[in-house]
Amino acid sequence: MMCRTGQQPEPQDAGKDAANAAFAALLEDSAEELYENAPCGYLSTLMDGTIAKINSTLLGWLGLEQEAVVGRMRFTDLLTVGGRLYHETHFAPLLRMRGEIGGIALEMRQPGGARMPVLVSSAVKHGRGGEPLLIRTTVFDARDRRAYEEELLRARRAAEEARQQAEADRARLQDALAVLQRSLLPDSLPQVPGLEAAAHYRTASPDRLGGDFYDLFPVDGKRFAFFLGDVCGKGPEAAAVTSLTRYTLRAAAVHDSDPVSALATLNKVLHDRYAGGDPRYCTTVFGVAEPDPTTGHATVTLASGGHPPALVLRADGTAEFLPTPGGLLVGILPAAHFATATTTLRPGDTLLLYSDGVTEARTGEDRTTLYGDEELRAFVADHAGRPAHAVIQALTGLLDDFGDGLDDDTALLALGVPAAASTPKNTE
Amino acid sequence: MSPLNITVTSATAGPVVAVGGELDHVTAARLRDLVAELTLRPGQRLVLDLAGMEFCDSSGITALIAARNHAQAARADIALAAVPARTLRVLKIVGLDQIFAILPDSQSAPGSRSGPDSHSAPGSQSAPGSPPATRT
Repeated sequence: MMCRTGQQPEPQDAGKDAANAAFAALLEDSAEELYENAPCGYLSTLMDGTIAKINSTLLGWLGLEQEAVVGRMRFTDLLTVGGRLYHETHFAPLLRMRGEIGGIALEMRQPGGARMPVLVSSAVKHGRGGEPLLIRTTVFDARDRRAYEEELLRARRAAEEARQQAEADRARLQDALAVLQRSLLPDSLPQVPGLEAAAHYRTASPDRLGGDFYDLFPVDGKRFAFFLGDVCGKGPEAAAVTSLTRYTLRAAAVHDSDPVSALATLNKVLHDRYAGGDPRYCTTVFGVAEPDPTTGHATVTLASGGHPPALVLRADGTAEFLPTPGGLLVGILPAAHFATATTTLRPGDTLLLYSDGVTEARTGEDRTTLYGDEELRAFVADHAGRPAHAVIQALTGLLDDFGDGLDDDTALLALGVPAAASTPKNTE
Repeated sequence: MSPLNITVTSATAGPVVAVGGELDHVTAARLRDLVAELTLRPGQRLVLDLAGMEFCDSSGITALIAARNHAQAARADIALAAVPARTLRVLKIVGLDQIFAILPDSQSAPGSRSGPDSHSAPGSQSAPGSPPATRT
């Protein structure tokens, strides 16, 4: 076993020496060569800015010869007009104050009028007595960095434009949606001689297109047709069915205002349109009201296709359902049966059509604790004998009270014979 | 909220689809998709067992109608079994009690048989972690 001594070079040391030799060959053996060809620009100026020394790298960037620069040009002569201004107002004063300054972005003039973005750092060299002697300056090529910054700015502008475009698109879509939504309901209810009409529509959520609908319109000189319904489902597909339903019923009533005929026409249209794996249907009450100018009474005949029964509020303060049992959902069978009912409205009586948004409003935490038919009947009985608009107003307050419990759209339409001889008016 | 849980078993008269939990506009598509995949032969009876159904909105009703259309297209019959009272009331309002056979329970159909030993129909599925609905 050999003992190690300090005199004998270790094998590892020999290897290190060889590596050092190879390394030294690569090392800068001349400070001057490093100065001239460093990957950044160097220059030294007198305190008045006259260039005393400048390296080849910087001369190369600027396309200048040493003889034309040293002793003949000032540092500011190398800068663009903007760079010169910035130098005068910021760079030079800060340098005088601090003695050094770093990382200032300036632009230098290149041959052919091109501009080269650079980052400039300077330091003042002082003499033994502390007096400033000259300024040493390094110049870094910032072209890539500038391009990167410009790309960032461009991307930011693009993102901002995209955001503005998206906001404009959204606003436009909301406008379009609102127009379509309004097309599903009448702008206002017509004047009906001898009757007062009032309606209310409540969407459960602003981003969901309505699935409920109602309308009231004259069919001839004496009679007015009205309907109220609820399309299954939600969203644009349901709204498309709502639109088809509303205009089909209006057109059907022009040809034959008999309630069963109108619903049968709608049934055929919906069934033909939506036959197949994606059934679309609606529940609808369609009615015709015929006010009698001599008696002041109005005869109402209505047919129901799967819709909750209408309520009749009597002048004596009672309210009762007008049953239409057995009427089938509209649109699910090629030929469907619809149930009819007739009643006479006397002064102070009001017919109320509603959608199940109100009767199925949640009144508890549980989604199965619902308001209910009997509760609605009892509520409106308290308002029986009052004008149609007052009944709708009371129900609007009820809907307000449900708050978040209102899961579904709700449509309300009331037709009443005014209690006393007064000018009928329509409210919405 | 209870998630929708659908179990398919086969009885001699045809498949029995047990629907548990809440059938609403979020979950109804699952029932519709599942029923659309069921193979029905002419004369069979598809039974939708609603005993475990806790909630059903209009989308759920649509799924029932889609199931009826599927059965009709296959010239098969359809029945609803053990319809909860609230849903039965809705079915009556919309007149569907006239077009669906309504059974007290899924075993009322003649020759029907369902239980733990029954075969699952193709496309049988149940929610993870929930036991298949079995009746004794």
